[in-house]
Amino acid sequence: MKAFLKGVLSMTIAVALTAPNLVIPNLAWAQEAPKITEEPLELTIHFHFRDKYVYTEDWPVEKKAAELTNIHVRNVASLATTSSRDAFNLLIASGNLPDIVGGDATGGLKDDFIRYGLEGAFVPLNDLIEQNAPNLKAFFDSHPAIKASISGPDGNIYFIPYVPDGKFSRGWFIRQDWLDKLGLKQPETPEEVHAVLTAFRDQDPNGNGVKDEVPYFARDVVDAVRLINLWDARVSGSERYGDFATYDGKVRHPWAEENYKTGISNVAQWYKEGLIDKEIFTRGSRSREFLLGNNLGGMMHDWFASTATYNDALRPTIEGFNFVPMLPPKTVSGDRFEDTRRQQVQPAGWAISATNQHPVETIKYFDFWFSEQGRTMSNFGVEGLTYDMVDGKPQFKKELLTNGEPVNAQLWAVGAQVPRGYWMDYEYERQWTNQIALDGIAMYEKCDCLKDEFLGVALNAEEKAIYDQYWPSLLTYMTEMQQTWVLGAQDINTGWDAYKQRLTDMGYDQVIAVMQTAYDRQYGAAQ
Amino acid sequence: MDHRFREYLRTLGEDLKRDWQLYLLLAPMVIWFVLFLYKPMDGLQIAFKDFSIFRGVAASPWVGFAHFQELFNNGLFIRAFFNTIIISSIGLIFAFPVPIILALMFNEVQSAVARRWAQTVVYLPHFISVVIVAGIVINFLSPSTGVINILLKWVGLEPIYFLTQPEWFRTIFIGSSVWKEAGFESIVYLAAIAGVSPTLYESARVDGASRWQMMWRITLPCILPTIIIMLIIRIGNLVEVGFEYIILLYQPSTYETADVVSTFIYRTGLQGTQYDLATAAGLFNAVIAFVLVYSANRISRKLSSTSLW
Repeated sequence: MKAFLKGVLSMTIAVALTAPNLVIPNLAWAQEAPKITEEPLELTIHFHFRDKYVYTEDWPVEKKAAELTNIHVRNVASLATTSSRDAFNLLIASGNLPDIVGGDATGGLKDDFIRYGLEGAFVPLNDLIEQNAPNLKAFFDSHPAIKASISGPDGNIYFIPYVPDGKFSRGWFIRQDWLDKLGLKQPETPEEVHAVLTAFRDQDPNGNGVKDEVPYFARDVVDAVRLINLWDARVSGSERYGDFATYDGKVRHPWAEENYKTGISNVAQWYKEGLIDKEIFTRGSRSREFLLGNNLGGMMHDWFASTATYNDALRPTIEGFNFVPMLPPKTVSGDRFEDTRRQQVQPAGWAISATNQHPVETIKYFDFWFSEQGRTMSNFGVEGLTYDMVDGKPQFKKELLTNGEPVNAQLWAVGAQVPRGYWMDYEYERQWTNQIALDGIAMYEKCDCLKDEFLGVALNAEEKAIYDQYWPSLLTYMTEMQQTWVLGAQDINTGWDAYKQRLTDMGYDQVIAVMQTAYDRQYGAAQ
Repeated sequence: MDHRFREYLRTLGEDLKRDWQLYLLLAPMVIWFVLFLYKPMDGLQIAFKDFSIFRGVAASPWVGFAHFQELFNNGLFIRAFFNTIIISSIGLIFAFPVPIILALMFNEVQSAVARRWAQTVVYLPHFISVVIVAGIVINFLSPSTGVINILLKWVGLEPIYFLTQPEWFRTIFIGSSVWKEAGFESIVYLAAIAGVSPTLYESARVDGASRWQMMWRITLPCILPTIIIMLIIRIGNLVEVGFEYIILLYQPSTYETADVVSTFIYRTGLQGTQYDLATAAGLFNAVIAFVLVYSANRISRKLSSTSLW
């Protein structure tokens, strides 16, 4: 009796631990070999990704999948192209589509899958999923927002996306050793941030006798004006640069909000005072390496995992170097929020062509990757090769984690973590993330200070015409003015009314109107 | 008519037979023109269509001049158009004479060693990729570590963040382009100078002309046709500013002076995948360029009896 209870208890715990968003695995499939067809079936695929890889049957993961499902996938994409976007566009223009089209591309393939799906290139998957794909159905049922976000304006699903896992990717980092040296604590309010940055500027925390410290700096252009968060303003509604955001169910652009004016006005002042890197817009991707490596940078907003590794890299050369994550400071209104989050769904994945003779088998194959076994394979690779099962959980092999090669590149090489339609398991990343970053992420998770992600909308033809007519120019203009104000060429307080007027003249209201219509149509049911 | 046509075919046949080697040499160039310049012109029709790459060119519906209307109602396109003209015109005024002056100067260098050395030094930048040139420019102009700003600080001036200030963009763009290309462009003029008959100089020397007079009265007039041809070509490119180098140097904060038609096309057409709109912008550009070349050629033929055709 005792043993029985213990067994039940540990099973319950195991389930609770491993699956926060529980998808009931198809037990029948997990036990017997989930062969989809009796006879081996070959399907062709065009799958170009990360600008330099193509799908291949030789991946150990793919070989294993073919063995289990009896579906053999043969790639037709050319490795000669060095742009996944070009490869995809050329394929569409040729009009000669293989059974499956997938991958990723600059700017994302979501809009393409939907657009060409509506034009008849790809089949709607809703009925196929309903009747043949229990794992996909369970996933979409438990994630209605993701389902809504990938649906077309006609409500149909045209592709199975790559679904990332985990909430936080970026956060605030500060030189804790500098704070300690100057007798300061981590800033909690905008005033304290100002005081800390000023101290970094004036009190020579790196101790070289020269006033060369760069108090706030950034690597990506999205983080250049991240400090506007302190005045409740947002930089973007999603991981995409300059994206829309939702405010109580209303779609608007963060760069047309009143708090943006306050935020930019203050950031411009700080820039003038020398608290923000003078070269914030031109220093580019090497800034983090340069400013941390030369003991110059004080505070930034960047990726947890990669930023935390600078502690390991720099401690031997810079005495006491301690660059740690800190919670977002409270805003002027007393709120506390983190502007960025890991995308909930990637504009990548795969779709079934209209010319495919075996749509049922294909959707079953797609479904395999959402089964427990398929998910493990797409995340961790092949058992015995890249991982072992330890206490019922996949654990990467030691040599994979310690041989010095980037872990993700090693996984791509065996066919895991490639942007097929699959569901990422954050555990795969946790196993090779630095403890400082993990602590930071845990701190952010406890804080519960996420904003809603804008998941994007699918525009119908008329809406898209309006969007295409006005939006590119609007975004260009807004970006231009942002830099003009921050760099001090114009004062936002005097230019704001003209800016708002210009936005109206350039069609801002029309764009917002079509975005709202599309948003209501798409997410009305999910909310 | 029919008779004359048959006559034409007959002489053509005879010509082909007699000079077949020459026609064979001509063939690759003609084929290249037809395949890569004339055949793609067919694609220009998408400027008048609502183009979808899946439906293809033929199946996309016609929309008339809608894309052109959209362009002319777009303040950013108009600005980009005028920026292109301004950058090219300033380039024409300041950058065009530099290779000519360089060629004349090389011609006057007496020591062969010194001349070869100087030529190599000014040719070299041509062979550096624009990406690297842009990197050099960005480093030189950096407000914290750039040479220029360090010099400015030495003489007690405030450092300037050049690459974010619209008023500096044209100077930087044209200045660095001159550094990169002037030496190489001077080759054409050097070749023209080499073609000037030495007898002219000899007789001038007999008449007691100074070197300055020889340059002014003999060299320059003799290479004038070359200069005019180069000028006409340059005018034809007045509406073309290469986008690679601009994209590497510009910032949203300098769009005001730096955004040109080709970068506009790049952003809307390639990044925004509005191929039809971008084609319309390109077509408009090409029409303007054609008009410019045609008129420059006409004017030149009238004034100097030198012309491209």
